[in-house]
Amino acid sequence: MRLKVNGKEVEAKEGALLLEVAPVPTLCHHPHTETRGVCRLCLVEVNGRLAPACATEVREGMEVRTDTEGLKALRRTLLEWLALTTDLSLAPGLLGLMAAYGAEPGRWKEAPSRRGRPPIRDNPFFLRDYAKCVNCRRCVDACGDGIMGVYALTLAGRGLQAHPTTPLDRPLPETPCVFCGNCVQVCPTGALRPLALEVG
Amino acid sequence: MEQPSLLPLLDERLPLTEEKVAEAARLAGVPLAQAWGVVAYYPRYRGLPQGRLLVDDPVARARGFSRLREEAEGTYPPLGLEALSPVYLRFTEKGRFLEWEGRWVPFREFRLPFALGRGHGLLPPEPAPTLAQYLALGGLGGLRAWKGGLLDPGKVLKAVEEAGLLGRGGAAFPTHVKMRAVAQGQAPKYLVVNADESEPGNFKDRFLLEHHPFLVLEGALLAALAVGASRVYLYVREEFEAAILGLERAIRELEEAGFLFVPTEVFRSGGLYICGEETALLESMEGKRAEPRLKPPFPVERGLWGRPTLVQNVETLANLPLLLREGPEAWRRKEPKLFSISGDVARPGLYELPLGTPLGEALRRAGGEPEALQAVLLGGAAGVFTRDWDLPLAYGGRLPLGAGAIVAFGKDVDLWEVLEGLAHFFQEESCGKCFPCPLGTAVQVGMVRRRERDPSLLQDLAATLRGSLCGLGQSAFWAYRSLLEVEGAA
Ligand code: SF4
Ligand code: SF4
Ligand code: SF4
Ligand code: FES
Repeated sequence: MRLKVNGKEVEAKEGALLLEVAPVPTLCHHPHTETRGVCRLCLVEVNGRLAPACATEVREGMEVRTDTEGLKALRRTLLEWLALTTDLSLAPGLLGLMAAYGAEPGRWKEAPSRRGRPPIRDNPFFLRDYAKCVNCRRCVDACGDGIMGVYALTLAGRGLQAHPTTPLDRPLPETPCVFCGNCVQVCPTGALRPLALEVG
Repeated sequence: MEQPSLLPLLDERLPLTEEKVAEAARLAGVPLAQAWGVVAYYPRYRGLPQGRLLVDDPVARARGFSRLREEAEGTYPPLGLEALSPVYLRFTEKGRFLEWEGRWVPFREFRLPFALGRGHGLLPPEPAPTLAQYLALGGLGGLRAWKGGLLDPGKVLKAVEEAGLLGRGGAAFPTHVKMRAVAQGQAPKYLVVNADESEPGNFKDRFLLEHHPFLVLEGALLAALAVGASRVYLYVREEFEAAILGLERAIRELEEAGFLFVPTEVFRSGGLYICGEETALLESMEGKRAEPRLKPPFPVERGLWGRPTLVQNVETLANLPLLLREGPEAWRRKEPKLFSISGDVARPGLYELPLGTPLGEALRRAGGEPEALQAVLLGGAAGVFTRDWDLPLAYGGRLPLGAGAIVAFGKDVDLWEVLEGLAHFFQEESCGKCFPCPLGTAVQVGMVRRRERDPSLLQDLAATLRGSLCGLGQSAFWAYRSLLEVEGAA
């Protein structure tokens, strides 16, 4: 099937995601988990309407734009807000995007921060450092419906307070966790990271 | 419910312990992780605030909020009491009360004063809490016609289409399109009545539920029959306790009288603004965190438990009996719409007006003098400030009507203080699922507090919030942007 991306005709297979034909940054989408449509970094305009490229299938005759002024402002601003509220020091991909989009978090002056959250070290294998967590849910989905079906992770709170936690907020060894490491693998920000990489 | 649902199982076990949460999860057949996510989401499972609480609505914000706030130990989100605002609540071990005329009235007894309602088509000329009273007002004609074989699905759908009835919850989507989509779906199918009215400034559904339960039920049953739904759920804001008891009584009466053609029950809402978003509402019924789903698929295809589901607002359904009685032509000529008018007008209340009525005239009906006003907030928190008194109150116009809230502000009101309340509301009510909304609503609070007027910041705030997953985030900047426009015009 044929569609237009930024004015150029492209071919795509039936059932393909816009992501496969449109050059956009992504954050929450991961091929192995069910998370998609959450971060909104991959938004594109389809016939003038906003749609997440990670959750929209190609259609014959679609007119897709990936880089309108509005979309650039959206990505730049989102990155600024993430940097303002969250410790992105172990997320080189996001830091690279910030540079590419000319992000200047300081122009927003103030915002509540998630940086104060203390790291949780409750098992010998990995650290849960939610000061670095952007709440993309990849870990929750990896542990639950997406990969493992173990359900050792869930979400607590709402709004900017929402963050991953364990059932009854218990230390991981007291949950159904089997320490498979899938959540660590899918975490895009270094919020979950192997203790083997920590020095001291 | 047809399937065990987590929220009612948790409600039966309040106050919760870890053992009780685990037990509810087992009975609902869900992982403990899901149950814990739910407990850590809805306010009532973490324990409600106690003491004297000020209802923090836009009218209270306009009446010297900091002074009012000093008289209370905390605040509570808007409750459809704007016409009576400012209102204080008392939450104690004995229950929830409203301070009214020098008394503490329990929630289960408090209804909006009937005199607040002004209109005689859609609004009842007198309250009809019993079937006998509803019959005396000429009610039940639609269900009787159905019983007598004079009505069938085709006729109901045709009438709704000819009338051009648009959804009254805010989205103004053509009702017949949704109904037909569900009618064509495979059974089992459901009807969910969205009675989770929580948009600040609106109290129309609350009023209808409290004073005219049979009208709402008759409309719901007719819609359910027309689309072939096997069950009706009324998703009612859990604070509307008197309305819930009245509806449950009315359901029993209809059943005894042999008119409950589709099994019907009340579902107590999750108690958050976002629960009124139709897919978040369905998530909460399924025992999950009330977080909006990605659309498509839409509920008409995959709704409750993945089945085709018609989700309709209370006022939309309440129009069905009237529309069938008067015929689509006659109904359309006056197209009744309920407007919740509050704030700086002499007679705040609920006004039934034909769609298209100019804003200024609506205000005058409520004893307001447009020229003496600074602006109105039209639609609610997800609404706009305006002083366009000639604006016809119609769908598809220059400004969104929302569900029909009009909050009037006199010349002395500090609109920035009102806006601060709205910004705070959005920050509190953001579910946190997608990124732009929890971040943007938090940033917005700071901007409004420092009276930020930098157009480039506002433009980027708008461009980013617009990309949110659902209407809450998408509309969270409207009031802010419109206030700057009103300021510029003044
Ligand atoms: S390591 Fe534990 S928490 Fe992480 S995905 Fe595996 S089972 Fe789940
Ligand atoms: S811990 Fe990592 S994977 Fe999990 S939500 Fe946070 S950023 Fe995403
Ligand atoms: S816009 Fe706000 S309320 Fe809606 S899904 Fe996103 S975070 Fe939740
Ligand atoms: S990658 Fe598409 S919304 Fe996050």
